[in-house]
Amino acid sequence: MLNFLFRKEHQLEKLIYDYLENLGMIQNHFTKAMNLCLKEGVSDDFCFLMDQTHKFESVADEIREEINQLMYSKALIPESREDIMGLLEKVDEIPRSFEQILNMSRTQKLIFPDFLKLDIQELIRVSLESCDLMIKQIDVMLKKKEGIKTLLSTIDQNESHCDHIERRIIIKLFDSDLEPFLKLQLKEMVIVMGEISDQADRVSKRVNIINLKRRI
Amino acid sequence: MLSLLGGIFLGWSLGANDAANAFGSAVSSRMLKFWTAALLAAFFVLLGALLEGEAGIETLKGLTGLTLKAAVVASVAAAITVTLMTLLGLPVSTSQAMVGAILGIGFLNRFVDFTGLGKVVACWFGTPIGGMLTAIVVYKILAAAYNRLRIDLFTSDICIRISLIVAGSYAAYALGANNVANVTAVFVGAGRLNVFSATLIGGLSIGLGILTFSRPVMETVGRRLVPLDPFSALVVVLAEAVTVHFYTFVGVPVSTSQAVIGAVLGVGIVKGINTVNRRKLVNILIGWFITPAIACFIAVVLFFTIHLRYVPV
Repeated sequence: MLNFLFRKEHQLEKLIYDYLENLGMIQNHFTKAMNLCLKEGVSDDFCFLMDQTHKFESVADEIREEINQLMYSKALIPESREDIMGLLEKVDEIPRSFEQILNMSRTQKLIFPDFLKLDIQELIRVSLESCDLMIKQIDVMLKKKEGIKTLLSTIDQNESHCDHIERRIIIKLFDSDLEPFLKLQLKEMVIVMGEISDQADRVSKRVNIINLKRRI
Repeated sequence: MLSLLGGIFLGWSLGANDAANAFGSAVSSRMLKFWTAALLAAFFVLLGALLEGEAGIETLKGLTGLTLKAAVVASVAAAITVTLMTLLGLPVSTSQAMVGAILGIGFLNRFVDFTGLGKVVACWFGTPIGGMLTAIVVYKILAAAYNRLRIDLFTSDICIRISLIVAGSYAAYALGANNVANVTAVFVGAGRLNVFSATLIGGLSIGLGILTFSRPVMETVGRRLVPLDPFSALVVVLAEAVTVHFYTFVGVPVSTSQAVIGAVLGVGIVKGINTVNRRKLVNILIGWFITPAIACFIAVVLFFTIHLRYVPV
């Protein structure tokens, strides 16, 4: 009955879910692009998928901008405004990492050596699993459902697992006979990949704090 | 009409200052537009004054017998005290200023109803304590209900915003019902107004203060509640409203600011945190004792001055 009075809140809710859905799309394209890159290096199909990832990343920026404008026009109570804006700012670091990885692969024409491919696939898989769980955790927080702590602990475990894989890859890399310049290039790439699960973990911890703050 | 100006001025300053206790947190945190808050507050203040303002008027007019001249002196003395204390930055209660001024004139006339005075003073001490206890109870009840409701963040925000508007309106109603006596009771005692006109003029002058000058107070003084989370701010407003409304039934005008301070302390007790610092508490205590004393003194001086006669030698 009072829906017309709280139009901004409903609009905001829709935009936040659009943002999360779009994040899923970015993730999908990033996964496909990376699988292709690992399989056949930088190709036309890879470039197409990279462009698609960039397109969805731009959509994410537009949605975030719209969300911020709604917030500045006083949707939600001040405390929630601050929480949501801060949270989305942190979440937004993840698609940036996706783009950075794809850009590095394209511009530096990186070719992953076979002895690293399995570990890199594993690193990407676990990192993306963390992102999925993080999106789920945000939904749980917004809908005030149970399970935030379980998700927090799984994301935390994933982050630590990713750290192990990252270290393993770097050790293997510097034990190998690859050219030193390529070693440094790949090391930089692996560090950016590892950043995905770190960021998902940071977002997850923030979600947990927001949830605790809202508990009365 | 001229004789009522002191009372109208007092009502105006009361409205300008005290509306922040009802809607300050909602307006300063931009949950509600100033004009929406001001119109709601002015409407509910007038409604409260008209429907329940009589009890307080009966108590205040019974404290002493006042002529029209004495009533004007009392309201002017109270208004000067409120202005002075505000300039000094001390927390001030219009109710205490008015009672102090009435007593000053009562002492000069050698007629004070000490039974009525005892009731009033007991209520002054009871206001912050009442605010604190009510806040504890209200917090526990609302928190239990809120945690039981499994509503999403957006609905929860909408609920808190609506509740703040409802609680603010209720607090404005309680302010009008309780504090209108400070504005016009002396004129009823002096036989210048009947109860209905007193509540109408009092309610309108408080409403005028809200509409014309409460904006800076709501936007700045109201911020003192903002460090509290929105739920606690809601509890504080509701507890203040319940406390002040309770004293309306008792028939004693009390300070909404003191009820708010008590409620903020109560929320602090429930949450196990310090919500009011020691300096603020000391200021409140100073204000408690100084306000009626200064008003009493000013009323005596004014009353004495206007009765001076030039006697040619």
